[in-house]
Amino acid sequence: KKSEISGVMAKAGIKPKSICHAKKWSDEIENLYRFQQAGYRDEVEYKQVKQVDTVECWAETGFVKKLQRRDNTFYYYNKQRECEDREVHKVKVYMY
Amino acid sequence: FCLFVFCFCFKVRGPPVAGAFKERPTKPTAFRKFYERGDFPIALEHDTKGNKIAWKVEIEKLDYHYYLPLFFDGLTEMTFPYEFFARQGIHDMLEHGGNKILPVVPQLIIPIKNALSLRNRQVICITLKVLQHLVVSADMVGEALVPYYRQILPVLNIFKNMNVNSGDGIDYSQQKRENIGDLIQETLEAFERYGGETAYINIKYMIPTYQSC
Repeated sequence: KKSEISGVMAKAGIKPKSICHAKKWSDEIENLYRFQQAGYRDEVEYKQVKQVDTVECWAETGFVKKLQRRDNTFYYYNKQRECEDREVHKVKVYMY
Repeated sequence: FCLFVFCFCFKVRGPPVAGAFKERPTKPTAFRKFYERGDFPIALEHDTKGNKIAWKVEIEKLDYHYYLPLFFDGLTEMTFPYEFFARQGIHDMLEHGGNKILPVVPQLIIPIKNALSLRNRQVICITLKVLQHLVVSADMVGEALVPYYRQILPVLNIFKNMNVNSGDGIDYSQQKRENIGDLIQETLEAFERYGGETAYINIKYMIPTYQSC
């Protein structure tokens, strides 16, 4: 359901209204970290830029598996958590 | 008395050192040559945690028969960036290879053997971690390795007891997973766990002091 919502927002070209920094790690923060490593704000921007409907994720954990960067190279991510606690506060959470 | 003088003047020396632990010199690798030619579809990126590889081509579309043995050949490299690319490239390819890894296993044995036979601590540690990843990367890979134990296990026999006796001090290399003796034990246990029924007896044949896990 979340991916459907982000798909709709991506098609509509909606931009975020506010931003804050993450305080505690969670699955969502892990995925945001992965998108931001690849140079995107979040899943919405990735779908807007790359014009895709789905993002490849690990079936076991639900974390993002593979992203294509703006220079068309590919980033691959581990099945397990990659975002360490000391990196969590750098992750930006965008509100729409 | 003459015998005593003889023994005193001419000391009997033991046999010369065989050099089992002595490091061998590295040879230039095909990995380095191909990397410098630009044959690899990879680029280096710097991020907050250190370095990361960006792939120019999707890993799923790569020809594993060509690239995986080349990356394994890079395990003998000890300098940046070759060593980083080889290690991280192997990690990514094993993570996303699926059923493409199994047919390539026989071609990986010679590069693994060359890496271990260098007897360099750093290279051995990295190779052992790669071996642990290899046996869990796909089904049947552990069992496919069993016929090749006699090529890759002999060097491990030499280093198996290389554990630091620091008394009641703390050995940080254990925490950092750089203690060779412990790494060898972990790797052999992974081999036994994923190698099927005949794994234990084959390991025991090559490494008689190994205990089953």
